[in-house]
Amino acid sequence: MWRDTVLVAGKDLRIEARSKVALSQVAPFGIVALVLFAFALGPDRGLMAKGAPGLFWVAVLFCTVLAVQRSVSVESADGARDGLRLSGLDPAGLFLGKSAAVAAQLVVLEAVLAGGVILLYGAKVEVPWLIVVSCLLGTVGLAATGTLYGALSAGIRVRETLLPFLLLPIAAPVLLAGTRIWQAAMAGGTASDGSPWLRLLVVFDAVYVALGIVVYGPIQESA
Amino acid sequence: MRYVVAGYVVVLSILFLYGAQLVWRRRKLTRAVARVASFGEVGAPARSDDAGGDGR
Amino acid sequence: MIPNRNVHPPPVQSPRARWAVGIIGITAVVATALTVWLGLWVTPPDQSQGDLVRLVYIHPGVAWVALYLAFALAAVSSLLYLWPRTRSMFWDRLAAASVEVGVVFNVCTLISGSIWGKPTWGVWWAWDARLTSTAVLLVLFLGYLALRRVPAEPDVRAKRSAFVALFAAVDIPIVHFSVLWWRTLHQGATVLNPNLSPTIHGSMAWTLLLGFVAVTLVFVWMLLVRYRIGVLEDYLGTGELDVALRERQAEGAVTDEEEAA
Repeated sequence: MWRDTVLVAGKDLRIEARSKVALSQVAPFGIVALVLFAFALGPDRGLMAKGAPGLFWVAVLFCTVLAVQRSVSVESADGARDGLRLSGLDPAGLFLGKSAAVAAQLVVLEAVLAGGVILLYGAKVEVPWLIVVSCLLGTVGLAATGTLYGALSAGIRVRETLLPFLLLPIAAPVLLAGTRIWQAAMAGGTASDGSPWLRLLVVFDAVYVALGIVVYGPIQESA
Repeated sequence: MRYVVAGYVVVLSILFLYGAQLVWRRRKLTRAVARVASFGEVGAPARSDDAGGDGR
Repeated sequence: MIPNRNVHPPPVQSPRARWAVGIIGITAVVATALTVWLGLWVTPPDQSQGDLVRLVYIHPGVAWVALYLAFALAAVSSLLYLWPRTRSMFWDRLAAASVEVGVVFNVCTLISGSIWGKPTWGVWWAWDARLTSTAVLLVLFLGYLALRRVPAEPDVRAKRSAFVALFAAVDIPIVHFSVLWWRTLHQGATVLNPNLSPTIHGSMAWTLLLGFVAVTLVFVWMLLVRYRIGVLEDYLGTGELDVALRERQAEGAVTDEEEAA
């Protein structure tokens, strides 16, 4: 399973390295989202700084949808999906590999967005390691659920409109937890302020990664 | 009290309308199924086993 | 004779089943009417809430149906469909019926809760755990229905829907707890709360109970009818194309005979 994971992740990341879609399209989209939020919230810098955690995570969620759509569409050409099914790859490995690739792209995107939020909104971060940990944990959850729903909607023509609608409500806990943790990090709180939310993220991640490992095979068969 | 009456009216209306829609759908579908089922016996006219017009 | 390719017998509902569904429907209507009469006229206004307490006779009822009954039924049915040993289109249709009827009750829950909340809390909507979880559940249900509308083979559609229901079932507790930690405004669990029994008593308690029973009966009736609709739709889905083809061929047959005459 782990060998297949590395294989699939490597394939997806190599495709990304050559096409640079995440870097050249999704990241700028994230920045555009941040700018639009700034327009929406008005020139009041205090308000923007207060809203920064939530806005960061909303932008991350939008980028997740795009990254997942991309992850699914790289296989829609030339019967690649059937090829993967017949290749004898362990479906759990396929799931973990694709999730890992999405997660890697998301981490880079989050770094860009975090920089944008700190620069554009004047958000002051007192406890940076909380942010880093919450981002990593949140990313795992988003990548796992995204890959699952991506596989579920892989063969559907209306996937572009259906996937966000299906995925975003499921990702809501990550948004809630991530925002709270970031707020704690900005307020300079101790680890205890953020820890129930960190635990929530861990549970979320564990549940959906486990679910994905078990269920990805059957989903693939019906797509 | 106005709120209460509004609440009752809205909820009961929604339930009633949805229930009526269910009954209407069921009736329409039952009739369609009856048509499909009876077609096998009544509709197809008796003819030779030739397909299309090839036998002519 | 054109062979009858539609080999499945049409799903005929036994007269006993039809009678049973009808009885449940009538009972549901009677119970609901009784609840309305008791709730709006017979019972007294509450000491603290005044007339607003009358909404408590229907709101918790629709809420319990939408949030617990319909949701649990959909989740369990989906699971039973996915489990190979119990796989059957029955579970798929039951899940779909539960979700669709559940959406209706969910909307009723949100509306009745909102109407109760406006005079009580002063706002049409409050971001507390219960309301927010209910709203998220509504969106997840709607996603399920949207996915079902995508044209696909019945078993592919069934599997996809079942997975979505499964993921939603897993997510709702997580959402609920996260929103609970985030905000809490809602009344503590009224009926199940032992401390609250002195507050609701007498005719009000009976009406509350009747409200629950009435709403549950309405749900059961709707579920049965919606399930029946699912059976009929699935049958037509396979049969209609055959009928259309045969009708076309029949047209051709008549023309040839006219020619021969």
